[in-house]
Amino acid sequence: MAYEPPVTDYDEIVENGTCAFCGCNCDDLDFLVKDGHVVGVRHACRLGASKVMEDMDQRLLVPMIRDENGELQEVDWDTALDKAAELIANAVRPIFYGWSETSIETMKHGIRLGELVGAVLDNQATICHGPSLQAVQNVGYPVATLGEIKNRADMIVYTGSNPMNSHPRHLSRYSTFPRGWFRQRGRFDRTLVTMDPKYSDTAKMSDIWIGFEQNGDYGFYNAIRAALRGKEIDQDFVSGIPKEDIMELAEAMKNVQFGALYFGLGLTHTLSKQRNIDMAIEMLADLNKYTKWVLTPMRGHFNVNGFNIFMAYEMGFPYGVDFCRGYPRYMNGETNTIDLLTRKECDVFMVIAADPGAHYPGGAVKHLAEIPVIQVDIHWGPSTEIADVVLPGSFIGVECAGTSYRMDGVPIHMKKAVDKPETCRDDEWIIRELHERVQKIKAEEAAVASK
Amino acid sequence: MEYILKNGIVYDPANNIAGEKKDVMFKDGKIVEQVSSDAKVLDVTDKIVMPAGVDPHAHIAGPKLVVGRIYRPEDSRKGVTSKKGVCRSESGFSIPSCPATGYRYSRMGYGTVTEAAVPPLEAKHTHEEIMAIPNVDVTPLPLFGNNWFVLQWAKEGKIDEIAAFVASWLRIVKGYGIKIVNPCGTEAWGWGGNVHGIDDPVPYFDVTAREVVRALAQANEKLGLPHSIHVHPNDLGHPGNYPTTVNTLDCVKDIAKNGSKRNQTIHLTHAQFHSYAGTSWRDVESGAKEVADYINNNKHVTCDIGQVTLDETTTMTADGPMEFDLHELNGLKWANKDIELETGSGIVPFIYSGKAPVPSFQWGVGLELFLRIKDPWQVCLTTDHPNAGPFIRYPRIISWLMSNERRQEMMDNGEVRVWSYKRTGLGTLDREYDFNEIATITRASAAKIYGYQDRGELTPGYNADIAVYDINPNDIDPSKEPAAIEHAFGNAMYTIKDGQILVKDGEVVKVVPSHTIWTDVKGFEEQEKTVMEEVMPTFRRFYTVKFENYQVQDHFTPNPIVTEVQAGK
Amino acid sequence: MKTITLTLKKKSPIALEFDELIPDKVFDWEKVDFEKYQVPVGNRRFPLTDYFDIEVEGDAAGPEEVKMILDGDFGRVKYIGCKMGAGEIIVNGDADLHCGAEMEGGKITVNGNAESYAGREMKGGELEIMGNTREFCGCSYIGDWRGMSGGKITLHGSAGKQLGECLSGGEIYVKGDCDILAGIHMNKGFIQIDGDVTRWPGGQMKNGNILVKGKLGILLEGFVYDSVVADPVIDGKSFSGKYIKYNGDIAVNGKGNLYLNAEKNREFL
Repeated sequence: MAYEPPVTDYDEIVENGTCAFCGCNCDDLDFLVKDGHVVGVRHACRLGASKVMEDMDQRLLVPMIRDENGELQEVDWDTALDKAAELIANAVRPIFYGWSETSIETMKHGIRLGELVGAVLDNQATICHGPSLQAVQNVGYPVATLGEIKNRADMIVYTGSNPMNSHPRHLSRYSTFPRGWFRQRGRFDRTLVTMDPKYSDTAKMSDIWIGFEQNGDYGFYNAIRAALRGKEIDQDFVSGIPKEDIMELAEAMKNVQFGALYFGLGLTHTLSKQRNIDMAIEMLADLNKYTKWVLTPMRGHFNVNGFNIFMAYEMGFPYGVDFCRGYPRYMNGETNTIDLLTRKECDVFMVIAADPGAHYPGGAVKHLAEIPVIQVDIHWGPSTEIADVVLPGSFIGVECAGTSYRMDGVPIHMKKAVDKPETCRDDEWIIRELHERVQKIKAEEAAVASK
Repeated sequence: MEYILKNGIVYDPANNIAGEKKDVMFKDGKIVEQVSSDAKVLDVTDKIVMPAGVDPHAHIAGPKLVVGRIYRPEDSRKGVTSKKGVCRSESGFSIPSCPATGYRYSRMGYGTVTEAAVPPLEAKHTHEEIMAIPNVDVTPLPLFGNNWFVLQWAKEGKIDEIAAFVASWLRIVKGYGIKIVNPCGTEAWGWGGNVHGIDDPVPYFDVTAREVVRALAQANEKLGLPHSIHVHPNDLGHPGNYPTTVNTLDCVKDIAKNGSKRNQTIHLTHAQFHSYAGTSWRDVESGAKEVADYINNNKHVTCDIGQVTLDETTTMTADGPMEFDLHELNGLKWANKDIELETGSGIVPFIYSGKAPVPSFQWGVGLELFLRIKDPWQVCLTTDHPNAGPFIRYPRIISWLMSNERRQEMMDNGEVRVWSYKRTGLGTLDREYDFNEIATITRASAAKIYGYQDRGELTPGYNADIAVYDINPNDIDPSKEPAAIEHAFGNAMYTIKDGQILVKDGEVVKVVPSHTIWTDVKGFEEQEKTVMEEVMPTFRRFYTVKFENYQVQDHFTPNPIVTEVQAGK
Repeated sequence: MKTITLTLKKKSPIALEFDELIPDKVFDWEKVDFEKYQVPVGNRRFPLTDYFDIEVEGDAAGPEEVKMILDGDFGRVKYIGCKMGAGEIIVNGDADLHCGAEMEGGKITVNGNAESYAGREMKGGELEIMGNTREFCGCSYIGDWRGMSGGKITLHGSAGKQLGECLSGGEIYVKGDCDILAGIHMNKGFIQIDGDVTRWPGGQMKNGNILVKGKLGILLEGFVYDSVVADPVIDGKSFSGKYIKYNGDIAVNGKGNLYLNAEKNREFL
């Protein structure tokens, strides 16, 4: 990593800006602005800073429609919006996917559009923490805000998560290093544990590393729970961990003052998926008989939690909500994006601030290539390559204000720092326009039908 | 637009109108004495006309609710309906979605609801949900009873600081008044503990519930807030807790009231959960008589009941330790949400089955309180929604209160178990509420307790918030026809809000945005400035958000109703 | 007796939903009623005749006198027999999601494979599947701790993951093999598996019985050895031979029983 001198050439500083990268949603950023661009970011991690500063890299600037030769051609906004509206209005099994990198204000128009046409609304949880949500639905959700952990926790456990790479400021701003009310010495007052088959960067700096074997999560947590209940472990090794270590760990977890467990996709995406979390949550409830423990999923995108919260307060279900029958329906494996794509049911796909082209399994992407795709985003990406209509949006938290929910559910109003490129539009405006245009088409259809 | 509601039988307890046949007129959203001949006539001959309902305590919006909805899809599924007319789809039974919450209150003739527990750090979330709830105005009460600043000042007896802090924080989070939940107990839950009784000090802060409740009551009266402190005492749901309840009420008795409209200096919420005698669930007995006697003898107290409705519901409260106990008891999924420096909360599904002794007992205790508290101005109808049952059961509770015969029938035919009368005094009480008393406990008393000066009465100049129910009070014997009573109060013939007809014949016909009701204290700016200087260094060190991003920006309350208060007046 | 035969003529890529076509609702329908009927497909409804040839023979006074024969590949027809209370449905082909979900009575036979959620929240009746099922056969609705509570599911092929999740009653009989976490969170009822099981049967089970005649891969630590029993009798059904009996899952203070064929699972002894 080469030395980079500090940025000194800027016109103004916008303080208390929010980071639109990971679920930490850090809100202490200083944006250094010159000529209407953010040229430097203070306090952010490298992931966050580069996202903010490289906002013009491969930036989508103008609306486009794919022509009959398969090339994306620049068009005016009206043409692009009308084309998208027509596709949506005529769809039989439309999916509106993404939302985790846009604002709640945008979602408000999205759900109205979804209700109007009978679409499936889904977000990245469907490929990330969906199993966590399913586990939460089965056995509970004992969480706390990040500040509770900062102020109280003397044991921090990361399992199936490597925040040093994925959420770089999680340890430094919230969990491990900061001095808290009851942890005045910061890192020295806490025990850091990483449970992960991989000796990750987070494991390297931990006090304890438990390297259970891949797909062994469920059996491992089951054994800890058995030990907590006082059972002498029968097997010499459970999931590759010696029984003595399990007994010792169970005892240590019982004897902290306040423990916090953070889990990531390493837990949600191994063999027994949601049941790993299910078991971990129940383990945590067990531990609360002895002392205080809380957990929090390490949510990836800055507003992935926001979509789940938004859908739940609007319609009672967190993601994968299907309006096709005129009422909300939530059924894992039936009303989720990946299932609908791999089953080749979806006939029009709108992606808002997400990149399924990069993230989806092959079968799902293959179907996307065969159906009309509408993309609302700020950057050119794999999804642009399969898009038929491209609607360039704006960058929430930098070019446009909006509400988001941090991984622990703390709501943050992300303010605007600079103006968006003149030819782009705010996501909120784009989705509202689509809603209004589809409403018009539907009204015309109804008028024709009644004659 | 002008209207006359013609020939209705009016119950307007605030104006001492108890079942008079008269017209009610309104114009441009307000009640008026006269309208012109152009006024539109709504014929409500011999129908019940009341001010729109006012709910003084429910949990309808905010982080706890959404955790409930996220983790109980099986509850959301129960209330699913298709979009229809002006209404969007609904979902949820005990924890309805935001649109469903608005429609369902509206169908019952309600116009105003209190959201009774707002964690300040997540107040923006509560306000987002209020924006998503149509047709009812919402009064949010922020939580102060376990706030670290408050705990420290209470220990030191610094009432001015607390008052200034409350004044600032009500403005910062757009809240209406002071909510206190298991004072000190929720902070103890930060370490997995609890406090018992009002003199059990919390770890580290070393302050007691008595000190916290008194300090906040003094601050409340120093500012002269429209509402009194709103208290969920310690030991909720524990057998033998009624002395804690009475002691909590009694500990503020000497504090002088400073609020123009209300009579009380303390509001006891969901009294049912706090009125148990005995020592364990084996020997539990009702403490309703003792609590009711105290209320009957002390005008500085008001309460709402938190009546058990005998449904499967979702309990949710800022009383974190209580919820964990409940999870230990019933083994159902446990959610918890602790909020840095401020509060905590817990959520557990619960099945109040009439086939089980404890829910039957709780059902009996709630009704016993209703029947023993003599002055209807001191009591309000609530279910502590969704804790003791969903708010859509209010009409059923009304039918129970109006019919001794129905209550006896339930006890006789096994709809509730013997603990409902053997462990309570319910079997000996034959009081039946009349329509005027029902009008009092469902709207007038709540409005007075909150110091509202624009609703809860059909006084000229007040908001035209009116409910019409399709029954002729002179023609029905509520004692004999509980089903008809329940149906009528559940399906308003008209619900009128700010002069607009939102419900007709039990169907929502118009959807309007809700208002957010909050309190802006004036005249305390100097003290507030000083206290903020003291608060900010701590805030910066121990919160995980910047102060700028902590505040609730104005756009989260697009339709505010701001109650301005002159501090100390 | 009324026989209703739907023969597939065009398979829709977007799944059809058959929750309205159960004997309880169609017992008095004539052929013309089916021809008028529009079936939900995505966010629309299309004529049933677009997809099927329809034959109706005989009369029925109630749903119990109805036999529905579904000929062809019904792998894109969801909710077959969902919430049915009586009568009979025979699927001559595969069935899509939620076949027999929430059924209360009657009988469904699938002469093929069934997708996930077969027999979800079943309360009564019989569901017989000649082929395999995928995940969550005989499970609860997500979030609910009360799953299938009555009736019987017989599976001639193999079962996917999380068979009988939150089982609260009734019986599931798998003649083939079974994937991970059969009977997870179950609190009542009986699961019999004749074939082999990959790992972790009975995870977080509170009560009920699971019997495995084949070989088990990995057993959970939450199960405590009880004894070796000969010829156990479970739910009135007797099984010859020796079985290793465990109690669990103690992680949840479970009182459930897990029986493993002793002969095939010697290494656990």
